[in-house]
Amino acid sequence: MNKDLPSIRTRLAHALVGWSLLWSVAVSMAVWLAVQNEVDELLDDTLEAAAEVLSGPLSIQAQAESPPAGHDAGSEQASSLPSGRFAWQVVRYPASGKAQVLIKSPAAPTSALRGSPSPAFGDASGWRVFGISLADGSQWLYVAQSHEERHEAQLEVAFGAALATLAIALIAHLWLRARVRHELLPLQRLAQHLCAHDPASTGATLGKAERQELQPVHAAIDALAERLARRLAQERAFTSHAAHALRTPLAGIDAQLAVALRECPPELQPRLQRVRTAAGRLQRVVAALLTLFRSGAELQRQPLDLTALISRLPLDALTIDVQAPQAVSADADLLAAALLNLFDNSLRNGATRVQVSTPTATTVRLDDNGPGVSPERRRELQSAIAAHAYEGSTGLGLVLADLVARAHGGVLLIPDVSGGFAIELRLGPCGE
Amino acid sequence: MRLLLIEDDEILGEGLRDYLSADEHRVDWCRSLREVAAHRGEPYDALLVDWQLPDGSGLDWLRGRRSRGDATPALMLTARDLLTDRICGLDSGADDYLVKPFAPEELTARLRAVCRRSAGNASSRRRVGQVEIDLAARSAHLAGQRVELTAREWAILEALLLRAGRIVTKPDLERLILGFDAEWASNALEVHVAGLRRKLGREIVETIRGLGYRIGAQA
Repeated sequence: MNKDLPSIRTRLAHALVGWSLLWSVAVSMAVWLAVQNEVDELLDDTLEAAAEVLSGPLSIQAQAESPPAGHDAGSEQASSLPSGRFAWQVVRYPASGKAQVLIKSPAAPTSALRGSPSPAFGDASGWRVFGISLADGSQWLYVAQSHEERHEAQLEVAFGAALATLAIALIAHLWLRARVRHELLPLQRLAQHLCAHDPASTGATLGKAERQELQPVHAAIDALAERLARRLAQERAFTSHAAHALRTPLAGIDAQLAVALRECPPELQPRLQRVRTAAGRLQRVVAALLTLFRSGAELQRQPLDLTALISRLPLDALTIDVQAPQAVSADADLLAAALLNLFDNSLRNGATRVQVSTPTATTVRLDDNGPGVSPERRRELQSAIAAHAYEGSTGLGLVLADLVARAHGGVLLIPDVSGGFAIELRLGPCGE
Repeated sequence: MRLLLIEDDEILGEGLRDYLSADEHRVDWCRSLREVAAHRGEPYDALLVDWQLPDGSGLDWLRGRRSRGDATPALMLTARDLLTDRICGLDSGADDYLVKPFAPEELTARLRAVCRRSAGNASSRRRVGQVEIDLAARSAHLAGQRVELTAREWAILEALLLRAGRIVTKPDLERLILGFDAEWASNALEVHVAGLRRKLGREIVETIRGLGYRIGAQA
């Protein structure tokens, strides 16, 4: 699997994280804006309620005592009065002169919160104040709450809302992530199904799609498989016809040569024998090619003794030096055909000796003593093989050897050597 | 051996016919099933059948022959080399299956093998009294001494050995050693049997009066 490709699941997960955070911030802001006024009103209500509660006892106390302005003599008694989270003061406004604070809570300022009698709500420096007149109307009770405390309350509400939103976003994110993974499972199952899907088998379909969105994928794959199956059927029919058209004349040539060898004068026998040997090579190459191109025919991979295999090949004009201590896992016919063609290549290119070795159980290496090729030509050949661009670039030997290597799941390599020409048939994993 | 070769390819058919004839076999070569019909009722030691023929399937023809109780050893000669084809060929009555291209030497070896198996023998060697015969080497020894036989004498000996223990009628034996359209003198068979007895001893071939000849052999 290519890890560099973007993953649908990861991309969706990233998008979900981003959107969850954005949603949390947006919701928190909205909540904060929405509750700001409500909190203000609520705090004002509580301020008013506190003033009404305090006005009763404070009226009686204010009538009993009339301390001088700015005096805090009643603070002991005042401290016994309920103040809760508020500050309060009782202020008298003489007909002339400055407002006097008769009594106040410990948290209240010493100077009057309001310079003149002020009923209802108002703002003093750093305070939110609610005023209510006491008894005869000469005294006023001011209940106040600091702006700082009110902000703190508003922030607490906003923070709580944000925390709750974030928690919901986190839970939603985890749930959606699991959901995305679950919804992508049909894609995984489709991939697994495709691995085992053989479009060449009769009536093979992928079956019903698990999701609506996968229906076009199923339809496209089934259509592709149908086209492939038709093509394979045509190729099989052609190969079958080609097999008959090629194999029967080859058998006829061999039978005629066998008869001719018996009937001809002795001096002609070596020549006819060479012709029969060549016909035998042709048979093997044709058989290997037909095996290679015929769909449905499986490789008969087995451990091969390379020395024994090569000893059976007709190679009169070439000295073969086999250094193969280990068996090679390959199809005997295909490997024989590939080797035969590679030996032919060496011979045609002026080599007289070929050394065959097996660096691994799935690699066969040939080194000949021919003139070799230039580094540029070697690279050109290797590129042509890698790109399957055989025509005009390589001889039949290399083409066939490459096809044999590929049929085994491997590759054909042309190593750089200082003298002669070398080639490596890497036959791919043997699965043992 | 008398063989029926059914092969539509001229070059292959002619090559096989000549090769097998050179090995002293009598080969009737047919290029189609229509030609084969003309040989109906002829006795053969083995059948060499191509699968795909111009006027039908050699395999179906063989299947039909087997369904009528015919047990003549048969080899399929075909370009079809898939495992399924080989299984189908062998299940349809072929005793062996040879994929083209093949060497004629391998064909004759397999031919001998299926004929041996058909006669109930694993080996090509037979013993009849003091006579030791090797069908593969085409040699006969009497008390350890090699005896030279003529082609006709060998053909009679081989035909009877492949049917060891069974009576072979005179007309069948004639057709087995002569082929489809050959002719010879009316007493020629007796002359060759007499030759065999003279070289290998009287007990080599038993005459069943009024019926034919029989040979009793041990592997």
